[in-house]
Amino acid sequence: MAAEQKLMSVRRDWRERDVRVVLAALVIAVATVATIALFASQLQRTLVTSASSFLAADRQLEAENGRPIPDSWLQEADARGLETGQMVEFSTMVFGGEGFQLVSVKAVSNEYPLRGEIEVQEGPDSPRQLVSSGPGPGEVWINPRLLRLLELEIGDSLEVGNLELTVSGLLIREPDGGFRLSALAPRVMMHKDDVPSTGVVQEGSRVEFVYLFAGEEAALEGYYEWLQPQLEPSHEWEGVRDGETFSRSLQRAERFLLLGGSLAVLLAAVAVAVASRQYALSQRDTVALLKTLGLNGAGIGRLYLRRLLLWGVTGIVGGLLVALPLFWLLASMLSDVLERPVDISLDPAALAPALLTALVSLFAFAYPPIRRLRNVPAMRVLRSQPGESGREAWPDMLVAIVAIFGLVWLYAGELALVVSLLGGLVLLLAALGLLGWGMVTVLRRVRGGGNAWRLALVGLYRHRNASLSQIAVFAMTLMLAATLVLVRTSLLDDWQAQLPDDAPNHFLINIAPDTVDEVAGFWEGQGQPLEELYPMVRGRLTELNGQPVKEAVSKDERIGALNRELNLTWMDSLPEDNEIVEGQWFADGDQDGVSVEAELAGRLGLQLGDELTFTIGSEKVTETVTSIRTVQWDSMKPNFYMAFPPGGGLEGLPATWITSFYLPPEKNTALNDFSRQFPTVSVLEIDHIISRIQEIVQQVTRAIEAILALILAAALVVMAAVVSATLRDRQREGALLRTLGGRQSLLVRSTMLEFAVLGGFAGLLGVVAAEAAVYALQFRMFEGSFSWHWQVIIPIPLISAIVLSLFGRWQLRPVLSVSPMLLLRRLE
Amino acid sequence: MNQMTKPTPESQPPMLRAKDLTHRVRLENDTLTILQGVNLEINRGESVAIVGRSGSGKTTLLGLLAGLDTPTEGSVELDGATISQLSEDERAQLRASRVGFVFQSFQLLPALTALENVMLPLELAGIGDPEKRARELLERVGLGERLTHTPRQLSGGEQQRVAIARAFASEPVVLFADEPTGNLDNRTGQAVSDLLMALNREQGTTLVMVTHDEHLAARCARQFHIEAGQLTEPNELGEPVS
Ligand SMILES: Nc1ncnc2c1ncn2[C@@H]1O[C@H](COP(=O)(O)OP(=O)(O)OP(=O)(O)O)[C@@H](O)[C@H]1O
Ligand SMILES: [Mg+2]
Repeated sequence: MAAEQKLMSVRRDWRERDVRVVLAALVIAVATVATIALFASQLQRTLVTSASSFLAADRQLEAENGRPIPDSWLQEADARGLETGQMVEFSTMVFGGEGFQLVSVKAVSNEYPLRGEIEVQEGPDSPRQLVSSGPGPGEVWINPRLLRLLELEIGDSLEVGNLELTVSGLLIREPDGGFRLSALAPRVMMHKDDVPSTGVVQEGSRVEFVYLFAGEEAALEGYYEWLQPQLEPSHEWEGVRDGETFSRSLQRAERFLLLGGSLAVLLAAVAVAVASRQYALSQRDTVALLKTLGLNGAGIGRLYLRRLLLWGVTGIVGGLLVALPLFWLLASMLSDVLERPVDISLDPAALAPALLTALVSLFAFAYPPIRRLRNVPAMRVLRSQPGESGREAWPDMLVAIVAIFGLVWLYAGELALVVSLLGGLVLLLAALGLLGWGMVTVLRRVRGGGNAWRLALVGLYRHRNASLSQIAVFAMTLMLAATLVLVRTSLLDDWQAQLPDDAPNHFLINIAPDTVDEVAGFWEGQGQPLEELYPMVRGRLTELNGQPVKEAVSKDERIGALNRELNLTWMDSLPEDNEIVEGQWFADGDQDGVSVEAELAGRLGLQLGDELTFTIGSEKVTETVTSIRTVQWDSMKPNFYMAFPPGGGLEGLPATWITSFYLPPEKNTALNDFSRQFPTVSVLEIDHIISRIQEIVQQVTRAIEAILALILAAALVVMAAVVSATLRDRQREGALLRTLGGRQSLLVRSTMLEFAVLGGFAGLLGVVAAEAAVYALQFRMFEGSFSWHWQVIIPIPLISAIVLSLFGRWQLRPVLSVSPMLLLRRLE
Repeated sequence: MNQMTKPTPESQPPMLRAKDLTHRVRLENDTLTILQGVNLEINRGESVAIVGRSGSGKTTLLGLLAGLDTPTEGSVELDGATISQLSEDERAQLRASRVGFVFQSFQLLPALTALENVMLPLELAGIGDPEKRARELLERVGLGERLTHTPRQLSGGEQQRVAIARAFASEPVVLFADEPTGNLDNRTGQAVSDLLMALNREQGTTLVMVTHDEHLAARCARQFHIEAGQLTEPNELGEPVS
C-alpha cells in the first residue's frame, strides 16, 4: 500500500519531535551499553592475560613429590593444541668468584615464559630490558645481589653442581616470581637441559617440577577435566583466579564496569521507554484517523510494529557507529600500559545486551498502548480521550519493568546487583507515593494569586500526575547516576588508600634476630623507616583435629597453602589493616591459640576451637583456632595465614624477621651499601610491579571516568525526553495564561519555581535511593564499608533543582517571544 | 434600540476606538495586508457583531482590539488606554483586569478541571477567593455538578459554557468572542449564545463578537461587515457608510 509506505518513511518520521527523541535515546542507549560491554570484555581478557603473566602461563601444574609427570600428560596437552613449557626448581650451593652461596635455582625450557616477560640487564649499569625467553644452554642469569655477594662480573663462570656455567646476564624480574616469599635465597636462572649434567637433582632430592600450559580457555578446561582423575595429592593445578593477589584491584574495576553497564541498561531503557511511550500516546489521533479510513486493527498493528522495528535498526546502527570508535579508543588506552599489548578484539557476544536493551525497551513501552488502540471500535476512537488512564497502563508497565530488570540480571549475572538496584527503586517508589499523598493533601489548600510561589505550588498540584511521574523518572535517573558516582568515588579512594605513592616497594627477608635493630637503624639513617617487623617461621599445616590434613579436607579442595610451606608468625597486636571476623584476638599475656586468615579458614572449613598441627622442621606444634581474621593481601606489607601470640606455639623455634619499606628510586644505591653490610638479608624489589599496578589503575580510572561521562549523558537524554513529553501542554498553558493576562515575569518565575521544587524533590529522593543501593552494593560487591555521602546528598538536589528550573525556563522560550495572538493561532 | 448606541456624553470616551488600523504580516517573499485602514468606535455596554467571509480578517481585528497583538499602523484605545503605547506586561495587566475571551475552540487547559479553568483568570488577577466566585459562575452556566470534570469529560457545548464562565469570572468591562458557536450544533449554539447575551446584559459588559451565525449577529446592537480587510457598517438602510 502506497499510503502505508509513506507512513513508514524514516525521513517523514524524523520531522516529528517525539520520533527524534526516541531515536536519540536509542542511539545513546546502544552506544553506552555496547561500549561498556565491549570494554568490560576487553578488560576481562586483559586481566586474565596480565594475571597470567604472573604465572608465566595460563595454568601451572606443580609436582612437589620430586618426580616429573608422565610424558603422556604433556603429549595429551600438545594434542589438545595447548602450548607447554617446563621448569625445575631446587635449592643448591653455587661456587664462583670468591666463595659459595645457597641459591634458589630455576631451570627453564625454551618455551618459558608462555605469558609475560623476563626483565634482565646485561650488566650492573646497562639498561633493563624485557625478553621473552630464558638463558640458553651453558649460560646462567643471576640476581644482582649474588653478583655482589660472590664479587662476580658478567662473563665469569659459576659452578652449579658439577657444571660450569657462564654468567651472561642479571635477572631483575621473572614474570612468575613476583610475590613468592619462599624464594629466600638469591635466584639463579639456567636452562633446563643443563640440569642433568649438574648432578644436583637426584631421586629423592627436594625438587619441584613445574609445567606451564597456555591456550584457549576451553581447551585448558577440557585438558584439566581429562587430567584431574590422574592427579596425585602432591600435584597442584593452579589457575589465574586463585593465583596471587595481584589482580584484585582490576577485578574490582571489572565489577565497577559491570555495575556501570547495568546502570546504563536501566537508564537506556528508561530513556527509550519514556520517549517511545510518549510517541505511542501521541499516535492515538493518527491511529483513530487510520481506523476511520478503513485500516483494521491488525493492519495498524503491523504498521507500527514495522515502524518500531525500523527505528530499532536505525538506532542500533547509529549506536554502534558511536560505540565502536569509542571502544577502540578506550581499549587502546588500556593496551598502552601493558608491556605486551593485548589484541583489541570485538567480542560479538558483548553486543547482545545493547541490542536486546534497545529492542526490549522500545517494544515493551511503545507497543502496548498502540496495541490496545487496535481493539477500540472505530466509533469510540473518535470520541476517546487522547490520554490514557493509569489503570490501563499499569500491567504493561509492570511487564516492561520486569523485562528490563530481567535484562540487567542477564547482563550482570549478579542477583545481588539486581536486588540492590530494585531495592533502591522500591524505596524510591514508596517515598514517591508518600510524596504524592503529601502533595495532594498539602497543596490542595494553596490558592493561586498574582504571587509566583503560590502559582507554582498550584501548578504542581494541578499537574500532580505529570509532576509525580516526572519526579519518578528524574529521581530514578539521578539515583542511577549518583550510585555510579558514589561507587566510583569509593573505588578510587580504595585504590588510593591501598597503593599510595609511598606504598612499600621493597621487602627485607631473612633478617637474623640479632641484626634486627641494626637493620632498622640502617634504614632509619637513610630516612626510610621500616614498616612493622615480623618474625617468620616456615612450616606446614599437617593435621586438623588430629587427622592428617589431606584426608580431613575434601578431595575437591586443592589448596596451595597446604602444599607449600606457610609463613607463620607471632604478634601481640592485630595489624591495622587486618580485621577479626570471628573469635577474639589474643589478650595480653595469652600464650595459646592461633589466628587463621579468613579465606583459608573458609576453604579448609575451619571453625573456632579446631586443633591445628604444624610441622616445623622436625618439631610439631598443636594449637586451637581462637580467631579468624581478614588480611589485605595487596597492602604490600607482610601478611600471614597463621599468627600466634608472643611466647605461644612458636616460642623457641628458629625465626628470621621480615618487613617491607618504601625506597624512592633515587635512593636505590643505598641497596648496594645495605647488601654489603648485611649480606644475608634478602631484598625483594617489587617497585616495578607496584608502578605497573599504579599505571594500570590510572588508565582504568580514566576509562571509568569516560564511561561515567557517557552514562551522565544518557541521564541527560532521559531528562530531556521527560521534559519534552509535556512540552506542548506547558506551552499551550503558557500561551493561554498570557492571553488571560498573566505577566511574562510571573509566568517565568512560577514555572521556574515549579520545576525547581520538582527537581529538588527528585534530587533528594534520587540521592537517598542511591545511598540505599550503594549501601547494599558496598556490602555485597565491593567489600567496602558504608558511610553517608554528604558531599552528594546536599549538592545533588540543589543542582537538580537549578538544572530543572533552567529546563523549565527554556521550555517557555517560544511562549514568551511572540504575541499571544500568534501563539493561539499556532495552538489551534 | 439605536438610542443606546447614539452619541455618548463627552466625559465618557468610547470603550474601544480603532484609528486607521492596518495590519500586515511578512511572508517569505512579500507582505500580506490583512487589515487596511480600519476605523471604529464602540461604546460602553454596546454589543457588536463582526461578520464576514472566512479569511477576511475578523480574528485578526479581534486580536488587535483585545491587545493580543499590536497593529502595523494605526492605534487602538481600550477603555482610555492606547494599547500600542503599553508594554507587554502592561497589556497583560489590562487583559487580566478588564478583558474576557471566548474562543471558537474553547481553549480550556486539558489538565485542569472545570473549576480550575474558571479560577485561572481570577488567580492571575489576584482576586480574593477565586474558588467561591468560580463555583457561582459555573452554577450560573448550569455546570454546578461538573466542577471536577476535565475538559475531555465534557461535551463541546459544556466546554464552551466553562469558557464563558471563565470569560466573565474576572468581571471584565469588555468581552471578545471569536465565533463562540462555530464548533457547536444549532441548538447547543443557541443555548450558548443565550447564555452569552444574558450574562452580558447582567454584567453590563461591552461585547465584541465575531460570528457567522446571522441570528446571533442580529441579536447584537450593531454589526460590522468586513471584507478583504476593510470594514463597513451598514446603516439603517442597509447601505454601507463611507
Ligand atoms: N500570522 C499570520 N501569518 C500569515 N498569514 C496570516 C497570519 N494571520 C492571519 N493571516 C491571514 O490573514 C487572513 C485573515 O485571517 P483571519 O484569521 O483574521 O481570518 P478570519 O476572518 O478570522 O477567518 P475565519 O472566519 O476563517 O476564522 C487569512 O488569510 C490568514 O491566512
Ligand atoms: Mg477567525
